[in-house]
Amino acid sequence: MKRIPAARRTALLALLALGAAGAQSSTQSAYTGPRVQLTFLHGFTGADRPVMERLIQQFNAAHPNIQVRGQAQPWGTTWQQLPSLVASGRAPDVVVINEDQITNFIARGAVSPLTDAELRTAGIDKARYYGPLFQTANYEGKSYGVPISSVAYVMFYNKDLMQKSGVTKVPTTRAELLRAAQQCTTDTSGKKAGQAGFNKANLSTWGMSLYNNWVGSRLAYAAILQNGGSLVDRNLNANFNSPQAVEAVQFLVDLVQKHGVARPNSTEEAELAAFSQGKVCFFPSGQWYTDRFEQQKLNFGVAFVPRIGNQKDAAWGGSSHLTLPRQRAGYDANKRRASLEFMDWMTAPAQNLAWTEAGSLPVSPVVARDKKFEGRPIAGVFSKLGSIYATSGFPWGGQVLGPFDNAWANAYSGKQSVKAALDAGVSEANKQITQARKSFQ
Amino acid sequence: MSLSLPRENVPPRRRRSFENSGLTPYLYLLPFMLLFLVFVVYPVGYGFWVSLHRWDLLAETRPFVGLEYYRNLFDFSTPQAQFFWNSMRNTGFFTILSVPLLVAVSLGLALLLYRPIFGRSFFRAVFFLPGILTVSVMGILWRWMFDNQIGLVNAVRTDLLGLQPLPFLSSEGLAWIPVVVGTLWWTIGFNMTLYLAALGNISQSLYEAAEIDGATAWPKFRFITWPLLGPVTLFVFVTTVLASFQLFGQTLVITNGGPNRTTQSAIQYITEEAFTNNQFSSAAAMSFMFGLAMLIFTVLQFRIMARDAREGT
Repeated sequence: MKRIPAARRTALLALLALGAAGAQSSTQSAYTGPRVQLTFLHGFTGADRPVMERLIQQFNAAHPNIQVRGQAQPWGTTWQQLPSLVASGRAPDVVVINEDQITNFIARGAVSPLTDAELRTAGIDKARYYGPLFQTANYEGKSYGVPISSVAYVMFYNKDLMQKSGVTKVPTTRAELLRAAQQCTTDTSGKKAGQAGFNKANLSTWGMSLYNNWVGSRLAYAAILQNGGSLVDRNLNANFNSPQAVEAVQFLVDLVQKHGVARPNSTEEAELAAFSQGKVCFFPSGQWYTDRFEQQKLNFGVAFVPRIGNQKDAAWGGSSHLTLPRQRAGYDANKRRASLEFMDWMTAPAQNLAWTEAGSLPVSPVVARDKKFEGRPIAGVFSKLGSIYATSGFPWGGQVLGPFDNAWANAYSGKQSVKAALDAGVSEANKQITQARKSFQ
Repeated sequence: MSLSLPRENVPPRRRRSFENSGLTPYLYLLPFMLLFLVFVVYPVGYGFWVSLHRWDLLAETRPFVGLEYYRNLFDFSTPQAQFFWNSMRNTGFFTILSVPLLVAVSLGLALLLYRPIFGRSFFRAVFFLPGILTVSVMGILWRWMFDNQIGLVNAVRTDLLGLQPLPFLSSEGLAWIPVVVGTLWWTIGFNMTLYLAALGNISQSLYEAAEIDGATAWPKFRFITWPLLGPVTLFVFVTTVLASFQLFGQTLVITNGGPNRTTQSAIQYITEEAFTNNQFSSAAAMSFMFGLAMLIFTVLQFRIMARDAREGT
C-alpha cells in the first residue's frame, strides 16, 4: 500500500522536472497493480458520446495496466437496470449517476462509500471541486461519488432589448430585478409596467420569463434557498411551505399577478421563442441553451440568478457523478483501486476542460479560470459556480419534486394562493414520503 | 413371406398409434406454450408476488405485506388511492371522448373516400400517413399547435378571429383538446382503411336493387351499409377502446399529465409510482387493478362479439 503514494510522488516530481506541470494531468498512474479491465456504464449518449469515448481512449492509452470499456446507454435504462445488476453481483465497475437519482441509490445500498483513505490514495482531493457540487453525492456524512459533469440554472439577458428599454445594469438583487423588468415591460399601447393605464393583459415586450414546467419551478427552488429555506427539513420531510419559501415564491408570482412584468400561463417553448425574438429581457433557464443562442447570433449575456432571497446566492444545478457500485463478495480489490484512478483522471482539470466541450460547466474552479472561456457569455456565471445546489440529499426525490413542481404551476397560474399551493404540495409529498420510508426500514 | 408381413405392418401401426395419441396438436402448440410461459405466465406471477411484498431488489429483506398495497388503493387518505383512481377516471374519460369520434369520423372519411372522387388516392394517403409517426413526434407537433402563446391554434384565434388566446396546455379541461384532437389525427387512418376494405366487400347489387325500389342515400346507408359494416364496426370499436385504455405517450408528451394531474393516464401514473417514486410493489398492485378493469371490459366485449357471431350465423 505504501508503494502507491510513493509512485505518485515520483511521477509528480518527474513531471515538474520536465516542466510539464501545466499539462495538468499526470500520465503516470497511481495504480501500479496487475492489468485489469473495467466496465464503465454511463448515460452520455448523443453529442456527449464522442467526447466521452475520446477521453476513454486517451485514458487507456496512458494506462497500459487499466483498460476501460465504456458503455453508453440512456440514463433511464441505467436507473432501471442498476438494482438488478447490483443484486445479481454483475454490477459494472464504474457507473455515472445523476444528482436526482444518486441519494436514492445510496440509501438503497447500490453504491459503495468512498473512504477518505481511498480518495487520498487515488489523489482525489475534495477541495479540487466546487463544494456543493462534490457534496451532492454525500449522504449521512460519507462521500459516494466524484462530480464529472455539471449543468446549472442561469439568467439569460437580451442586451438589445435592455438597451432599448434603458436598463443599463444586469440586475443582481430583488429590487433591481423588479425595476429592470418594469422598464422592459411595455403594453401594446406603449405604456410601461407601473405607469397609469398600463394594460398587463396585452404585452408587447416584457421583463421576465416565468413558465409552468419543472424547469420553471427551479427558479422558485433557487429563490427558496436564497431566502434560507429548503425543500426538506432535517428529518428529510418536505418543508417547502416554510415562511421563507412562501415569501420567496410570492415575489415570483407577484411578478405576474401584481406587477404584470411576466406573462401568465406561459410555456417554456413560448418563452424561449420570445427571448430569441427579443421580446423579453430576462430568461431564466438551464445553461444548456447557451450554444443555441450563440448559434442564433443573439446579442445576449448570461448572469447568475439574481438574489431574490435575502440570505445567500443560490441556483439550481444538475450533475453527474462517477460512482463505484456495490460489488459481490470477493470482488477484485485491484479493480476498485484502478476504478478510483480512472475517477481521478477523468475529473482532473485537463480532462474536465475537454469535457466542457460537451456542454458541461467546469466542476472545479481551476478549469473555470481557463483562457478558453474568456469573453464567452457563459463565463458570466463562473464566479458563483460554488453557489449551485442540486435537489439532492434525500432518497425520495420523486416524492418531493413532483408535488413541488405541481405547487409551483398552481401558484404561478393563480389557481391557488402561494401558501395554499405550497401547503398542498408539502402535504402530498409527506404522505408519499411516509410510504417511501417503509421501503428503507 | 411370413417374415415380411410383420415388417410391412409395423410402421403403419406405429404411425397410427402416434396420430391417435392426440399429442400432435400439443407438439404444434409447444413452442408457443414455452414462450407464453416464459414471457407471460412467469412475469405475471412474479408481478403478483412483488405486489404482495415490500419489494426492492437491493433490499436485504423483502417482507411479505399481504394485500397492503391493494388496500392502499381503497384508502382515500393515501395519495396512491387518490391518484390511481384519478388516473383511471382520466383514462375512462379519454376513452369515452375519443372512441365515438375515432369510430364515427373514420367511418365518415371512408364513406367519402370510397366514392370515385378526384384525388381519392391522395386523400387516402393523407389521412393514413400520420399513423406512421412515433408518438413523440406526434405529441411535440400537437403541443406546439396548441401552445398557450405561440401555438397555431391561438394565432388563428387572436390574429384572424380577434379572440383572446386560450391556455390549452395549462387549463383543466381544455388540456384534453390537444390530446383528443392529436390522437384523432394520428390514428384515424388505420380505422378508415379497415372501413374502406369492408366497404369494398359490400355487393353493389344490393344498392342497385334499393335504387330500383326508390331508396335515397340515407335509407341505403341505414339499411344496407351500416348493417353490413356491423362486424368491422365491432372490431374497430373493440380495438379502439383497448388502444384508448392504453393512453400513455400522448398525454406524457403533450401535457405531461397536467395541469394538476387532470390528464394523467393510468399507465403514466403506474410508471411514475414505479420508476420515479421507486415503489415497485405499489405499482405492481396498481397494474393488477388496471389489468382487472381491462379484463372485465374484454369479457364484456367477447360476450357481445359471441352474441353477434351467433346472430350472424
